[in-house]
Amino acid sequence: MKNYRLLEHTADIGFTTQAHSLKGLFKKTWLSIVDIAVEKQSPIDRQKHKYVITQKASNLEELLVNWLNELLSMSAALGLVFTDIRIKKLNHQFIDAEASGTDVCNYKINTEIKAATYHQLKVYKDGFFWHAQVILDV
Amino acid sequence: MFNGLHLEKIDAYRFCIPQDAKSGMRVPGLVYANEKLLKSICQDKALEQVVNVAFLPGIVKASLAMPDAHWGFGFPIGGVAATDIQAGGVVSPGGVGYDINCGVRLLKTNLQHDDLKDKLQDLVYRLFSDIPTGVGSEGEIKVGAKEEREILLKGAAWAVENGMGTEADLECTEENGVMAGADPGMVSKRALQRGKAQSGTLGSGNHFLEVQVIDQLYDREACDTLGLDLGQVTVMIHTGSRGLGYQICEDYARRMVESMAKYKINLPDRQLACAPVNSDEGQAYLGAMRCAANYAWANRQCLMHLTRQAFAKVFGLSWQKLGMLLIYDVAHNIAKLEKHQIDGKEKMLCVHRKGATRAFGPGHPEVPEQYRKIGQPVIIPGDMGRNSYLLVGTSGAMQETFGSTCHGAGRLQSRTAASRSIKPDMLLKELSSKGIIVKASGRNTLVEEAPAAYKDVNDVVEVVHNAGIGKRVCRMRPLGVIKG
Repeated sequence: MKNYRLLEHTADIGFTTQAHSLKGLFKKTWLSIVDIAVEKQSPIDRQKHKYVITQKASNLEELLVNWLNELLSMSAALGLVFTDIRIKKLNHQFIDAEASGTDVCNYKINTEIKAATYHQLKVYKDGFFWHAQVILDV
Repeated sequence: MFNGLHLEKIDAYRFCIPQDAKSGMRVPGLVYANEKLLKSICQDKALEQVVNVAFLPGIVKASLAMPDAHWGFGFPIGGVAATDIQAGGVVSPGGVGYDINCGVRLLKTNLQHDDLKDKLQDLVYRLFSDIPTGVGSEGEIKVGAKEEREILLKGAAWAVENGMGTEADLECTEENGVMAGADPGMVSKRALQRGKAQSGTLGSGNHFLEVQVIDQLYDREACDTLGLDLGQVTVMIHTGSRGLGYQICEDYARRMVESMAKYKINLPDRQLACAPVNSDEGQAYLGAMRCAANYAWANRQCLMHLTRQAFAKVFGLSWQKLGMLLIYDVAHNIAKLEKHQIDGKEKMLCVHRKGATRAFGPGHPEVPEQYRKIGQPVIIPGDMGRNSYLLVGTSGAMQETFGSTCHGAGRLQSRTAASRSIKPDMLLKELSSKGIIVKASGRNTLVEEAPAAYKDVNDVVEVVHNAGIGKRVCRMRPLGVIKG
């Protein structure tokens, strides 16, 4: 997957991505992070683990950061890589989704991502597409 | 004009961003740099961030940038800001950063460069094998929930109580390796989960362990006090609070973004989200941040223990016989409540050092007695191909920068740019030609952390020395490097 564009940032890594729908955008921003962070290897542990993720925020940008950070934090705490995302409900202040993934031992980790930040964060609609710009602290 | 900002040159090492550069600035900006470093600082938006920091409620004197400053989040890396607590001064998780108490420690040995010649490769391989490195690395030092809580409260003393070091190590650690006021109740379960199993691990990114040799002395008297001489082998360890710190920063940055309206705080960048020090949010953050700081000191103490053991195995002598004593350990991502003189009056300030090192001058009561005459040791790591430095704090730093100085070389290139332009094999060959052996967990880390991605630390240290906010003691060059 390379449906994102890396941005130059002196300290860290940034990227932009786009999708036809807001749900698609939230899913793609997360999968872009997965692509930056890990590389798939021959699977050792195929067992899938599924979690429900709900997040609230006062606006869309903060909701995106909260969503990404919840996934990052769960991945680190549980030792999982979430690659299947199903968003059940999404508006500008709330997201309800299911994330499934397998053990991190199935992957080679390329980059440790500490968090998604508010720095230069953008979420907007331009014509038919939703766009996001996210800077990650690595 | 730099990045649309008018900078006033004060002298060869100081540039001022006037308070009227942007409406809403409460204090001016002050950048420590020479012309060459200023150009690299201006390549990104670090100066804009210096301006944004000047908006923080309660900020005093100036928003400061050290010569290694570069673009960060909210604060620039290399930024220092102090707020007056009694005047509603704030604390900002963005002014500390995600890797709370990222810091450096320096050990001396009684080995000379010649003693390493036949053993350097074995030593580097042994260190690489015995010290857990890399992303998500987990250590041999396993702790349960009760012990994790103890680490948050006791810091480096926990490691010493468990046979990993001595009381003398604690005396040579900033804050004696433990910040009072740590409150584990303010640390989320998720943060505890992220930190579990990472005690005694180096991690990845710019963290490293380096075997070095002293190749230049600048201050003979200070070297004598520190027991250092030309050709002597030293070891430098750079790491922080790992996943625990990241999660605490994330938890409280989020909480403060939500609470800023309550305190009527408006800032040009959400990443500067903050709360008054004397608010529930401010106190909760400081309680949690101190836990992460203590965790980081315990982590570096554990790593030093593993390092001493590795040296003992390779040389067949105990670490005591190898003279592996801790020179000092400094934090360079932290917020602290400290008393400083402001306009002739002593005030309690919340000093944020994000990519900046405490540099208390001679005579300061918080400097260990054995160093009080020369000032607090300040450890400045460079990149893996050039130099690192040992400085001491100065009275100039106490007067100008709330007792702070630079923290390293500072990035010059983005990680993506470095990955594009540097080939790992060429880099290893180049380092090998300089007699430097490098072992890294990931090839990505290797190129992202290549010397070309950093400013020259020699330039950075020259500025702080000449500006009087740090005093050169000696310079080291790398012999063996292990990285995550």
